[in-house]
Amino acid sequence: MSDIAIVESLKRDLGDKALELANPDRRRIFVKVAPADLVPAVTLLRDAYDCAYLATISGLDKGETFEFLYHFASPVVNINVRTEIPRTDLRLASICAVIPGAVLYERELQEMFGIVVEGIPDPRRLNLPDDWPEGQYPLRKDWKHVRPQEVIPGGKS
Amino acid sequence: MSFEIPIGPQHPALKEPISLRMTVDGEVITGVDIRLGYNHRGVEKVAEEKNWTQNIYLAERICGICSHSHATCYVQGVEKLMELAPPKRGLYIRYLVSELERVHSHLLWLGVAGHEAGFDSFFMYTWRDREIVMDLLEMISGNRVHYAINAIGGVRRDIDEGQKAKILEGVATLRKRSAYYFHIGASEPSFVARIAGVGMLSKEQAVSLCAVGPVARASGVARDVRKEDPYAVYDELDFELCTADTCDVLGRVVVRVKELLESYKMIEQMLKNLPAGDIACKAPRKAKPGEVVSRYEAPRGENIHYIKANGSDKPERLKVRAPTLGNYPATVEMLRKGFIADIPLIFAAIDPCICCAERTVTLVGARNGEERIVTLGDLRRLAIDRHQSAPPKRNAVWPF
Repeated sequence: MSDIAIVESLKRDLGDKALELANPDRRRIFVKVAPADLVPAVTLLRDAYDCAYLATISGLDKGETFEFLYHFASPVVNINVRTEIPRTDLRLASICAVIPGAVLYERELQEMFGIVVEGIPDPRRLNLPDDWPEGQYPLRKDWKHVRPQEVIPGGKS
Repeated sequence: MSFEIPIGPQHPALKEPISLRMTVDGEVITGVDIRLGYNHRGVEKVAEEKNWTQNIYLAERICGICSHSHATCYVQGVEKLMELAPPKRGLYIRYLVSELERVHSHLLWLGVAGHEAGFDSFFMYTWRDREIVMDLLEMISGNRVHYAINAIGGVRRDIDEGQKAKILEGVATLRKRSAYYFHIGASEPSFVARIAGVGMLSKEQAVSLCAVGPVARASGVARDVRKEDPYAVYDELDFELCTADTCDVLGRVVVRVKELLESYKMIEQMLKNLPAGDIACKAPRKAKPGEVVSRYEAPRGENIHYIKANGSDKPERLKVRAPTLGNYPATVEMLRKGFIADIPLIFAAIDPCICCAERTVTLVGARNGEERIVTLGDLRRLAIDRHQSAPPKRNAVWPF
């Protein structure tokens, strides 16, 4: 199936749910959906478009909103599902029920952006240490790292 | 009664820090928990503060073994953002290094698999041969590990006729020896008995858990970015996608040796058809606002970089997903119902690259006790307290 045929068929299947649909490059399709439509859209991609493979989820702090990009791939095309949530309401639905392999990426989103992924089977931190302070989310744009003063025990400081 | 056995973060069986917690019932593993984060460096955050060129060097240092994979994945994305068309010769050299890197990585892995299975002569043979390809890479790029051959818009160094002849000679030797390893890997009875049926991952599990690379291909999932999404030169090359359907460690050995043979084929094709001309074009300092998803088949599986530009000379966001991270959920399934003695073998069979998979943020080192968490600072304080309150030591007295 060519890119154009896939875009047309996505337009038909998603209808109003597809807020934006773009095909900027060969084998690259970007589709934007509302957060509420995320799980149905992902289910549709898995069942009808052979996109059971989720490569990863990218998060981006855009100031007023957070944007999340789910990178799916089928043997013929790479479909990226974009969704945006406001900074005032940081909740996102988990897609682990549809794609079980998504759990690590959702855990990473939670700790890096401070959002709540609702329905995640394993809500622990992924990468950050256990004693990482609450309320510090490193990949937010307003987060800056301040290196703590190094103290050499028993010696010059 | 079941016990929990911690393996790692520092353990002789693992070459890099990761913590595996096995719940065992007798000899059988019933549950696995993988804890990450012991090797975090904050690469994604740092990348937002460096310019496009500086980030090549940063991406190269995400991993030591597949260093070229990350740098290439990044560079091919940035070239798309800048709307550059690198000259054909430059691209051929870049992907020639990619295939040589795959050869060195797979030979390294074969050796590790032999070692973990207790077949150390296999390990010594493959690592001896790996030196051939390491020398070729040093000849092409000047370095053995971080080749730094990539530049935005092409490559940094050209190759001449003498080097071409040397590469072909090296590849001919390696092909002969790899054919022998294929014969051993698939038919040496004690080796096969050790690896067959170990670390099973069914095709359905591999699909639902989003496994990538040789792990997925050994479970019969024909997934390879070079075929599905042929970037740069791969649509001009003639090669086959290697799969196996045994779903175990044996299948992973077979897939990797077959891939070695395909890589030799590709290297020869690239050298034979190496176009004349420039090796690089000039790149602008800034990129127009936009976004790109760059995919690359690293030796361990699909490598994906999402790059967003905001019009300045620095990226707005660089998201890196290394293949090992994608294989962790599948590893948990492989280890379940296995034996304790199989842990190193199964874990090594995904060819884990822990520093690749962990690149986001670690600023404070932490150590986990069984019941409490102690920060490095607390630990230091405890050590000092203990040292100061210890009874004064007498000098040792010679007994005679």
